[in-house]
Amino acid sequence: MSNTTELIRLEGIKKSYNSVEVLHGVDLSVNAGEVIALLGENGAGKSTLVKVLAGDIPPTEGVIKVNGAEFSRLDVFQARELGIRMIFQELNDAPALTVAENIFLGQWPTSGGKIAWKELKAKAKEVLDRLEVDIPLDAEAGSLRVGERQLLEIARALIQNAKILVLDEPSAALSNIEVERLFKVMDQLKAQGVGMVYITHRLDEVNRVADRVQVLRDGNSVLNEVAQEVSREELVTAMLGHATAQNVRPVVSKGDTRALVVNNLSDGQVFNDISFDVHQGEVLCLFGKIGSGTSEILESIFGLRPLKSGEISMYGEKFTPKSPQDSTSKKVGYLPADRQRLGSFAIRSVAQNLAVSSWDRMAKFGFVKSADEEKAYGTWQEALSISSRRGPSQEISTLSGGNQQKVLLGRWFEAKVNVLLLVEPTRGVDVGARRDIYEIIRKQAKESNMAVLVATSDYEEVVLLADRALVISRGAISAEFTDDLVQASKLIEASS
Amino acid sequence: MIKNRAKSVTAGTEDGAKKSRKIPETAPLIAVLVLMMMYFSIASEYFFQVENFRNILANAAVTGIVCIPSTFLIIAGHIDLSVGSAAAVSGMMLAQVVNSQGVALGMLAVLAFGLVFGCFNGFLVTVVGVNSLITTLGGLGFLYGVALLIGNGQTVGMNDFEWLGTAQPLKIPLPIIIFAVIALLGAITLRYTKFGRSIYAIGSNPNAARVVGIRSNRIIFQTFILSAVASALAGAVLTSQLSAGSPNSGLGLELQVVTAIVLGGASLAGGRGSILGTVLGLLIVGILNNGLILMDVPTFWQRIAQGLMLILAVSFDSIRAKLNSTRS
Repeated sequence: MSNTTELIRLEGIKKSYNSVEVLHGVDLSVNAGEVIALLGENGAGKSTLVKVLAGDIPPTEGVIKVNGAEFSRLDVFQARELGIRMIFQELNDAPALTVAENIFLGQWPTSGGKIAWKELKAKAKEVLDRLEVDIPLDAEAGSLRVGERQLLEIARALIQNAKILVLDEPSAALSNIEVERLFKVMDQLKAQGVGMVYITHRLDEVNRVADRVQVLRDGNSVLNEVAQEVSREELVTAMLGHATAQNVRPVVSKGDTRALVVNNLSDGQVFNDISFDVHQGEVLCLFGKIGSGTSEILESIFGLRPLKSGEISMYGEKFTPKSPQDSTSKKVGYLPADRQRLGSFAIRSVAQNLAVSSWDRMAKFGFVKSADEEKAYGTWQEALSISSRRGPSQEISTLSGGNQQKVLLGRWFEAKVNVLLLVEPTRGVDVGARRDIYEIIRKQAKESNMAVLVATSDYEEVVLLADRALVISRGAISAEFTDDLVQASKLIEASS
Repeated sequence: MIKNRAKSVTAGTEDGAKKSRKIPETAPLIAVLVLMMMYFSIASEYFFQVENFRNILANAAVTGIVCIPSTFLIIAGHIDLSVGSAAAVSGMMLAQVVNSQGVALGMLAVLAFGLVFGCFNGFLVTVVGVNSLITTLGGLGFLYGVALLIGNGQTVGMNDFEWLGTAQPLKIPLPIIIFAVIALLGAITLRYTKFGRSIYAIGSNPNAARVVGIRSNRIIFQTFILSAVASALAGAVLTSQLSAGSPNSGLGLELQVVTAIVLGGASLAGGRGSILGTVLGLLIVGILNNGLILMDVPTFWQRIAQGLMLILAVSFDSIRAKLNSTRS
């Protein structure tokens, strides 16, 4: 960090949409070789700020200073010229093309109209070496893990001569190992003088990766400090605007009846010989990195993946997973990790999204009343504090991630399931809503005697949510923690 | 005013906030319809007459019978292109069987054919997993061949069964009544039943529909049966109107059906569409055809107009989607 050349400085940036101001004069500066962690709840203005930085949108007021020159706005081409590149959470690659082709996506070097394969591969190798990552150049991008594909995006940015990288929540979909690998790459880039703005929801990452941390709240910059000098509590307080309770373990409680018993479950591929039980009213978390098999276990119990051997029983009766339809009819609910693809009906109303799994119960002679759906939505909107400004007919895709997730949870509460399977229940959900969701899940489990089984790679989630935790490592149970022994340090130790 | 707004949110009524933001999907259709009617009324003295409207509706009714289940399919994210050939085959069958075995057996044979062919499409799409566009494009091709085979390439005259196509109880042609009943049942099913809601859910996200426990395959299968039976019925009505089964009678039916449905606001990506929209789309197509005929426009041009209409409708769909997404 000897190098302190300032690459860009945004001063007093204001931005209004339809006369509603969403940024109220925010500063942001990026030095060469510096990583700035940008934190804030959803809607705090992070995306708007980085879009101004990348030239996607013009600010309403403010100055952008680059190398002594002042601009009232950047356009996309100027931003590219300056080497500002965004790495989005969603992948923007071509899965059917190879790693090398993807690194040069759309800008393949040519000679005489033909693609210069040798040059392409040599340069691709060079950039991957620069990142110190080892990914086969001829592999199809689609066959790689999410984390590796994200590294490809970074490699592509570097090929295009990136000097400032904006990484928008890249770690959300990554396992701990992959996140660590990403951080190593970022260290590497730092040493080469690239400035980075790193958007994240995970507070524990701040100290590891960032030099400076900046927190936005409601369109204002409320904290801008050297990362090492800020405590986690200060960050949470800055983000939420008030001091919150510490990570207090919930009071453990469960019913006497065993709702779900799983014996020697194997799928012949990912997990092996898994046995556990979940009591009524109990929240059991399966903790493990992505790829460890936690989500696959839940998928198999729900009937989305085939099982090879093992037995499952619910309330003493044998249960053979056949299909999601069969499972839901037997009062098993499933919340997928991928909300867009498997969870929500984007263009349908929040009321229908919530009621969809209860249509069977609501239907009289095949007819479902909208009034019943809206009543169900009203009930859960209040219980889950879902904020939908336009009532039950609002399309679900217009809600924030946290609110969408609450609707999908309400879906299974309304369906009165006995066993609820949750995969990464707070992925892409902001910190404030996370705590709401943990509280709601626990409250519902206790009140309706529901057995809740959670698959997660977020240890903080386990600490805040679980009555009991099983650590899964390479498809097998490696540890079990109950009560106060459910601690982050123990979980991480057992999972690695 | 603020109080009002807050109240409407807590009460959870479908309030005006949504309506004022989005362009109502049927409004432009009604506008186009009115403009077309005005234009043709001026252009042709025969247009604005009760008899002509009865004519337009009677012609549209045959297409309309097919449009209703096809709307279901398109909302669910599928499509049935085999409707025209299925109608032709059923018309040929009807003529043959009525001539030799009588009306009752003829209708029975036609409906049985619809059922079997619907199962065939449904099986390929839901069990084998072939894309519905390809499955029914194949059906369109081979059934046309079957229709030619039945009459050896010739039109087959049919005796004593005109009433299905030409009877006019209360001065309303029977096909219009049949269509109205089917459209009404379709609209109720789509709007108020679990089946209809499931169709919208499947179309808007087939993967999620599976996960929440909707029996998607069963519903798609049933809808393909409805589509084939409706096509068979349409073929029968058409044959009865003409007193003859012609292998070419269903040519281009799929184009008219898809045009009407897409004009009516349904999205080929699935999840959107309504029976009211489809009916309005159907009327637009019907009035266009009729108006062009009255204005003595050569039939070749009618074909061109129909094709362009579909392209226009799809473009309009995209533009409307863009407008709505920028406004909200």
